[in-house]
Amino acid sequence: MNDLHPRIRVIWILRAVVVAVVVGAVGVGMATFFDVSQLPPVGFAVLLVIVGVIHAILRYRNWAYVVREDAIYLERGVFTQVRTEVPLVRIQHVDSRRSAFERLVGLASTVVYTAGSRGADVTIPGLTPADADALRRRLKGLVIESDGEDAV
Amino acid sequence: MKLAVKAVPYRALQKTTTLLISAVFIASIGIGIPVGPPQFLLVAVGSFLLSLGYEVAYYRRFEYQLTDDTLDIRSGVFNRREREIPYGRVQNVDISRNIFQRLVGLSKLDIETAGGGSTEASLRYVTAFEAKRLQLDIRRYKRGESPESHAEGATVADPDLDRDRAVDDEELLFEIAPSELALAGILSFDPRVPGALIALFTGSVPFISPIIPFDAPPLIVFGLLAVLFAAGLVLAWIVGAISAIVNYWGFRLTRSEGELRYERGLLQRYSGTIPFDKIQAITITDNPLKRRAGYATLVVETAGYAPGQTDGRGSEAAVPIGSRDRVDRLADEISSIEEPTFNRPPKRIRRRYLVRYLLAIAGLTGLLYAGLTVFDLANEMPWYLPVVAALGTPLAAHYKWLHRGYWLGEDHLVTRNGFWSRETKQVAYYRIQTVIETRTIFQRRWSVATVIADTAGSLSILGTGAAAVDIDHQDATRLRETLTERFRTALAERRWDRQRPTAFEWTGTTEERPDSTGESGNGQDVDQSHIDRSDDSPSDVDRSDDDSPSRK
Repeated sequence: MNDLHPRIRVIWILRAVVVAVVVGAVGVGMATFFDVSQLPPVGFAVLLVIVGVIHAILRYRNWAYVVREDAIYLERGVFTQVRTEVPLVRIQHVDSRRSAFERLVGLASTVVYTAGSRGADVTIPGLTPADADALRRRLKGLVIESDGEDAV
Repeated sequence: MKLAVKAVPYRALQKTTTLLISAVFIASIGIGIPVGPPQFLLVAVGSFLLSLGYEVAYYRRFEYQLTDDTLDIRSGVFNRREREIPYGRVQNVDISRNIFQRLVGLSKLDIETAGGGSTEASLRYVTAFEAKRLQLDIRRYKRGESPESHAEGATVADPDLDRDRAVDDEELLFEIAPSELALAGILSFDPRVPGALIALFTGSVPFISPIIPFDAPPLIVFGLLAVLFAAGLVLAWIVGAISAIVNYWGFRLTRSEGELRYERGLLQRYSGTIPFDKIQAITITDNPLKRRAGYATLVVETAGYAPGQTDGRGSEAAVPIGSRDRVDRLADEISSIEEPTFNRPPKRIRRRYLVRYLLAIAGLTGLLYAGLTVFDLANEMPWYLPVVAALGTPLAAHYKWLHRGYWLGEDHLVTRNGFWSRETKQVAYYRIQTVIETRTIFQRRWSVATVIADTAGSLSILGTGAAAVDIDHQDATRLRETLTERFRTALAERRWDRQRPTAFEWTGTTEERPDSTGESGNGQDVDQSHIDRSDDSPSDVDRSDDDSPSRK
């Protein structure tokens, strides 16, 4: 099983911080408007950051994936733990992508699409750009090999 | 080939009508422009002429053709589009005709493939006969035959002979009986009309308030609200009954070589084909009432329809209600499987359901109390009424557990769920897209897990797919691994089948190997639904493999 790149935690924590800042700003704004204490919204924002950090650490710890001979297997989730098996023949196409945050810390994600209705797209975050590209190429190779006759 | 000439005035009229209705609507709101009969007539004639002009151009620029391996469509008045759909990718071919179209002899033909969010090809409109011919010829091409009478622009020599050909090899699987149709009507509710009424009247017009004397004693208000609610229910029921009867009038399912055909509809006639090897899952639903009376509902899922399409019905090949043994026989015809013996979740899970139901009731009661307190009515209204339902919770929890289960057949995974509306779902191992095992934080406390076999079916978006819910966590891991393993085996078998001489594959497959109906036909499956070319794209070359497969 492969772990994600440790730096992915930075992204998740950054996201939590952004959410906390937005929520905190709105809260402080409202508190100012209604002329009540600004402490509760600030406290709530701080709490959000703490929860976000803990969540990011646990999430990182629970994330693992492996590309087997004929399937991708993923384990993830903090509250709801999910294990997914994606047979390679079912893959429709593969993306590698980099969001703004990901570029900031030099990471990338690979997204695998299937025709399924529920787990239709599976994202593997926290890869180095080189790894993401390599994974995409490798999957593409495997998918072409499996000739696409059985994709739906 | 061209669309039907009659389609030109029909489409123009259709457009004009839509336009006029919206014009009348806007005018009735009042835009300050005086609208009298002369202006109205002017607008009507003008827009008719305009759309007639457009439709003539549309007709002239729309061309389709059945080649040896693809259906080619060139269309578009301003933006040209060339589309090639390989026959192997076609999932369903649907024909529908509403009452006007039937009067003038037109049909709409829709072709669905697995990719994309909408219908891939829609021919509006061709003659009824041409639609039948296309449906039939696409089927023949899919099987690799070359229809005798295809050829570009060639008219069919003997229509009667051809019509016979269309029904020659069909075998009736299911035909709705009048009693079943009546039952389907009785059991249908359509909340949309009363819902719309409520939205309309409470929003704009003070409709409810003048009827209800809010200064009267609260119990009377309560009673009046109940009466209104009941009236809404009755309305929903009447609307539902009418729409169900109109929709399923004359419902028939037939089987012809490698395909399932359906036909239904009173005012608007629908018919279509679904290749057996594109069927993703079969769902049989019943509830205690239906079970007692010996009836059930069956839905055939395919990957062709995008969610939200076709009025959210998802699948066209759905038996609204049929007697239990006929539904079972039908399911057996489509995918024959042994009688399942379900593995149930551990018994301890019943306590979890009980707690869950009790919590829900407590929550509801709390909400009601809070709501009534806000209006100062808590003392007079029976806010504690929902608590009565708690008496039923042990039974509900037991049945929820009793109905849950999964079974691994030779070729299928069968799962069952639901305490009131019981849903049995069959998914062939070969149809599995992904296998997902989930454990929520609550499930971990009870050491249970859920395993979902996801398919490319269309209903699964609303429902849960074939899910073995709340099974012991060790079983869950085992089930996940078994499903992956069986998928692998099924895939290998299938590939081996495909490599055998083709003559073997589609001669009387269904008779000789009743368990492999899904494997007749050429077994071509999809990852790329069609090839589009448009004049906008820089090169005229086919945009190939990596960008056109679209997911659902």
